[in-house]
Amino acid sequence: MPVTLVKERFPSKVGEVILGATSEQGGTRTSTVVVGGDNLLPFLHFEGKVVNRPVIAMEVTDIVPPWNEAIKAQFGDVLDNPAAWAQKCVNEFGADLIYLKLIGADPEGFNRSPEDCARVVKEVLAAVGVPLVVVGCENAEKDNEVLAAVAEAGAGENLLLGLAEQDNYKSITAAAMVHKHNVIARSPLDINICKQLNILINEMGLPLNRIVIDPMIGGLGFGIEYAYSIMERARLGALANDKMLSMPMICTVGYEANRSKEANASAEEFPGWGDLAQRGVLWETLTATALLQAGASILLMRNPEAVKLVQRNIADLVDAEVGA
Amino acid sequence: MAACQVKFMPESRTIEVEEGTSLVKAASQAGIYIKSGCGAKGSCGACRVIVLSGEPEVRGTGKLTPEDIARGVRLSCQTFVHGDVTVEVPPESRLQEHQVLMEDVQKGGLLQETEQDLLDKFSLHPLATKVRVKLSEPTLTENASDWARLQLELRRILAAGVKGVDIPLSVLQTLPEALRQAQWDVAVTLTEGEDKYTVVRVEKGNDRPPYGLAIDIGTTTVVVYLVDLSNGRVIDKQGTYNKQAKFGDDVISRIVYAVDAPGNLQEIQRAVIDTINGLTEQILSRQKLEPADLGAAVVAGNTTMTQLFLGVDPRYVRLEPYIPTMNGVPPLKAQEIGLKMVSEGLVHCFPSVASYVGGDIVSGTMVTDMANGEEIVLFIDIGTNGEIVLGNQDWLVSCACSAGPCFEGGGILFGMRAMPGAIERVYIDPDSLDVSFKVIGRILPVGICGSGLVDALAKLREAGIIDRAGNFQMEHPSHSERLRLTPDDKEFVLAWAHQAGGDKDVVITENDVKNLIRAKGAIYAGIRSLLTMVAVDVDMISRIVIAGGFGNYLNVHDSVEIGLLPDVPAERYEFIGNSSVKGARLALLSQNAWHEAAELGKKMTYIELSVGTTFMDEFVSALFLPHTDLSLFPSVVS
Amino acid sequence: MGLTGLEIYKQLPKKNCGECGTPTCLAFAMALAAGKGALDSCPYVSDAARDALASASAPPIKSIKFGNGSVLGDETVLFRHDKTFYHPTTVLVQVSDTLNDTDLVAKVEQINDLEFDRVGLHYGVDGIAVLEESGDPTRFAQAVKVVADHTEKSLLLLSDNVAALQAAAPAVAAKKPLLGNAAEGNYEAVVALAKELALPVILKANGLDALNDLVEKAQALGYKEFVLDPGSRKPVETLANLTQLRRLAIKKKYRPFGYPVVAFTSKNEPMDEIAEASIYVTKYASAIVLKADEKGFLLPLLTLRANIYTDPQKPIQVEPTLHSVGDVNPESPVYVTTNFSLTYYSVEGEVEASKIPSYILPIDTDGTSVLTAYAAGKYEPEKIADALLNSGVADKVGHKNVIIPGYVAVISGKLQEKSGWKVIVGPRESSGIVSFARSLSNG
Repeated sequence: MPVTLVKERFPSKVGEVILGATSEQGGTRTSTVVVGGDNLLPFLHFEGKVVNRPVIAMEVTDIVPPWNEAIKAQFGDVLDNPAAWAQKCVNEFGADLIYLKLIGADPEGFNRSPEDCARVVKEVLAAVGVPLVVVGCENAEKDNEVLAAVAEAGAGENLLLGLAEQDNYKSITAAAMVHKHNVIARSPLDINICKQLNILINEMGLPLNRIVIDPMIGGLGFGIEYAYSIMERARLGALANDKMLSMPMICTVGYEANRSKEANASAEEFPGWGDLAQRGVLWETLTATALLQAGASILLMRNPEAVKLVQRNIADLVDAEVGA
Repeated sequence: MAACQVKFMPESRTIEVEEGTSLVKAASQAGIYIKSGCGAKGSCGACRVIVLSGEPEVRGTGKLTPEDIARGVRLSCQTFVHGDVTVEVPPESRLQEHQVLMEDVQKGGLLQETEQDLLDKFSLHPLATKVRVKLSEPTLTENASDWARLQLELRRILAAGVKGVDIPLSVLQTLPEALRQAQWDVAVTLTEGEDKYTVVRVEKGNDRPPYGLAIDIGTTTVVVYLVDLSNGRVIDKQGTYNKQAKFGDDVISRIVYAVDAPGNLQEIQRAVIDTINGLTEQILSRQKLEPADLGAAVVAGNTTMTQLFLGVDPRYVRLEPYIPTMNGVPPLKAQEIGLKMVSEGLVHCFPSVASYVGGDIVSGTMVTDMANGEEIVLFIDIGTNGEIVLGNQDWLVSCACSAGPCFEGGGILFGMRAMPGAIERVYIDPDSLDVSFKVIGRILPVGICGSGLVDALAKLREAGIIDRAGNFQMEHPSHSERLRLTPDDKEFVLAWAHQAGGDKDVVITENDVKNLIRAKGAIYAGIRSLLTMVAVDVDMISRIVIAGGFGNYLNVHDSVEIGLLPDVPAERYEFIGNSSVKGARLALLSQNAWHEAAELGKKMTYIELSVGTTFMDEFVSALFLPHTDLSLFPSVVS
Repeated sequence: MGLTGLEIYKQLPKKNCGECGTPTCLAFAMALAAGKGALDSCPYVSDAARDALASASAPPIKSIKFGNGSVLGDETVLFRHDKTFYHPTTVLVQVSDTLNDTDLVAKVEQINDLEFDRVGLHYGVDGIAVLEESGDPTRFAQAVKVVADHTEKSLLLLSDNVAALQAAAPAVAAKKPLLGNAAEGNYEAVVALAKELALPVILKANGLDALNDLVEKAQALGYKEFVLDPGSRKPVETLANLTQLRRLAIKKKYRPFGYPVVAFTSKNEPMDEIAEASIYVTKYASAIVLKADEKGFLLPLLTLRANIYTDPQKPIQVEPTLHSVGDVNPESPVYVTTNFSLTYYSVEGEVEASKIPSYILPIDTDGTSVLTAYAAGKYEPEKIADALLNSGVADKVGHKNVIIPGYVAVISGKLQEKSGWKVIVGPRESSGIVSFARSLSNG
């Protein structure tokens, strides 16, 4: 006897955000990336259409990063050259976007000037054709200067800029409005604060389709479940036509997964935890695949091996024939 | 120990205290009450005084600035007498007589207190009665005892039926002389219980009515009504600060103090009884009555206030799982507790529901009459705690949310209670940011009360001075001087010093705004949580009844605009002021009402909001103007 | 969805007698609605009400127990934020009966060792699935025996051949294994065997329609200890099936699908297989059968399972241990706050913004904010003094100054006395920390 399936008819969908701009659109990208747009829960083909697949942005930093050797080794000798590094991510590892972190701007570190940072962005833009996600050094005051310079330098490129936070959202929002970029709105593990921030940014005049939500995830084993549930709630909210939660979500998978001991400690140190080569890669992979199930649209990833696994996981979920 | 002279200015009142006495204690002995928000720990800075002469010992200066200290400012709780001193107690450090301003009715589309009397419904049948008895003189043949003769006659007059009529020993001891001096024509005051009447006073025959006291013990203020028990009329009322305030502002600090050292519980119990007795004395002297004229009293207070009033250790009220010692207590004799009444008179305390929903709420719930109809009613008492009751004749649920004392003026830089000098309405011109305001008592403003704060928050937002999260927008296009940055905070000037009653500009700071948002958020989150837990939609509520002491009126429009109250048509709202004392009056006048209160206490289901994440989630959601979910406030957004 | 408290309340006697231990009938009804307490504690409930409430409160997904404490099903929600997920996905690793006994024992021992200790938790693989691939019932029985003799873990005996199950199951019935598969062609015999031995059994069919028919027929045999396998072996289909089965059971209370579901992975490469399994852990598999059998593969998956199955009703908390912000040194200030994440992270954010490397010690307040914790007596000077002592912060800094939240200024005296630390009263709100910290370091 045929079973009547439960197919949800959602009144709305996740908002679409377009990243990057081709020459016709006033930029220099060879392709653009569109995220969001789905009117279904993740990958449930029986109730709608997966319009835009989730994408992976690979992390590139403007200074040589203090990552573990297992990851660094995969990049060879490009880690001190952001442009070459970005090229490798796109050409060899199939990154959909480049996630450029301007850590060198940190006043406590290299304290690079906004102009230097803007130059790095231009170099990377010149080196690759994919759209860019650019964030600062997480020093609010400095980032306001750096991102203003980046926004100007990248005018027309339709960048995704971060981070706007509840205490510091105005200057980056203004920069994005002037130079027509998109903004990452980050809120710490709370769906209400997330929504409040979107309202504040939107009330400044930035359209909703230029905002991407960063729910500030925890990595696997370190609070991923909070982000998981907040993202599920946000996705359900978006589908239920809550415009202030309807933005696509971006997750700092590589950073959060790889800051854990589990992703770095050798089997000699922790014999009970098994081989690091497997464990480390899977730590980042599962952080990503779990959040894909909660509705992530942009995964910010680091380890090429994990990227490969997640690309295959996405392909399995997106490209398959309609199930059930 | 040496005795030292302490002179208080500007009263020029001098008293003698023992060496080592703190200034706050000395002042209290002199009848001058100084504020304390921290329980004399030296941390809140509310008790500052100015030492004019003498060298008292200073054990702590808390948050006083070097400038303050240089000009003689001291914390009176941290300053101890060693030799003669002269001290000025500035007005802002004084606990002042609280004014019951219910008669000062405002006009202009604002919701005023309703004065609906439920007494007709309950029928007059007071907790104490008085009868005139004329006995014939005893003779050798009619030789029944004094009491037997009085009792027989009382039974007849009262139509006591199966109920007994009792006389306690202390009244019996006065009986022979009382009867004879009155030449057998006496007025007898009796209290009435479940199964018997008790004679509490025998006096010379007169037709004056019996009186009783309706008492509301609030954490902040205590209000006493003198009620004529023969007709239900409120003869007089008086309110003042709860003298327990010197042990801390909120129930938690009172509990902490009460259990901190032996003797403290008795001291804090004494403080509230002194407060009540002080009010009673003022009323009695005005009305030319004496304590013995008061036959019964009904007390309504939150659970902690009730336990402290009774001298019952309150510590477990505070600690998880928040268990009160008792819900109801049998009536007690005035002499047991030390109230200024006829000593055998009965004191009834409203039963509590749970640690954070007390007899004051049971009393208020009775006043709303919500438990006697099918329509669903929401009752909100906005005080130091926000208590919320929802239900109808079939069910009642209640909860408490810690809103903090903002709406009573606490935790706000220029916050004050609704008394003369308090700004109670605010208008801000959105272009120039010029301010006009209305002050209680039509005098120069010295601060702002709860209803003024609700107003101010709404107007700050309307004028674009704050964003929806309460952040000050310093780059406001008006470039008004009123919007300014100080080393401590961002602030907005409501009244310049030259327009104000003190020597400072009256301001509202960003921190004040955030405190207000938290307070209104807690109340709204409590409402939403309660509705969620019983799966009732706000549209199913027929009436929303608000009680509380934050002002003389409720500005529904502004309350909705800031997200304090649900966005439903204004006509569903009702404001009943101090519902706790009103319920106490009803219970005093009607045995039926008293029984209903007892039933209500048992029927009400308490919901602990600290269990689970619903409340916290709702709370964070409500920390926005008016709310994160703007669809809950369609009239504000549109 | 179950009945609400008010709906249940309507069926109760409304006596408010308190004999059930809760003060009012409504409180009792709300406890029942929340799945706490039993209707039997009410001495006055009518039989009619009892029947009405029992059927309404029956769990939407049957609880199936097998092996060594494994529990499947008994879930009540589609999303963990709606309440919680109760019974973590049972993870089984498969072994084949084609291995010889020596290899089999070695493999079983390897699986036995798939146990982990991390962040104070202990977790591991729950069971072993013995696959009949030899085509020989005797061999299968022998292999099952060998596995059973060498493990304490739960067992799943998996064969499409009734004879093999009949040969293997009776000898290990005392270990209460899960049997599989009962399918269209053999279900009568397999269910009969399961019923005879009182063992739960997997009903396997290809697709939901066929599964529905099979469940109806199998139930007609008078047995209900079932686990469902909708037969799909492609991730996207398995996800769809798991979702539909859960939705039908919970949203529609569709009884034929009111059983737990087992998922099988399709990937052979272990890293890909684990990524695939992560889909089923998050989306509704009550059990998963895996091929991967090494620690480096299993720890990430079991960690995800532990995360997804934590109770989201508990407030988000941070570890109540000493945290450091920035490059701390012996002059670094020491802040105390609570372990409620929102409180902690607002403090941490501001301390970070102050650019003064600092220590932060969150006190365990069961995840409540400063004021709530203080109100409830969870922020007492004694407790903070102990936490300071146990944190070891005294060895890390060269001073004895501790900064407390302004809201609890009242405890400063006592804390100073109990801890021996000089107490500095900080700002009430975290937003005041930056200017406070700067004035502190300048003064």
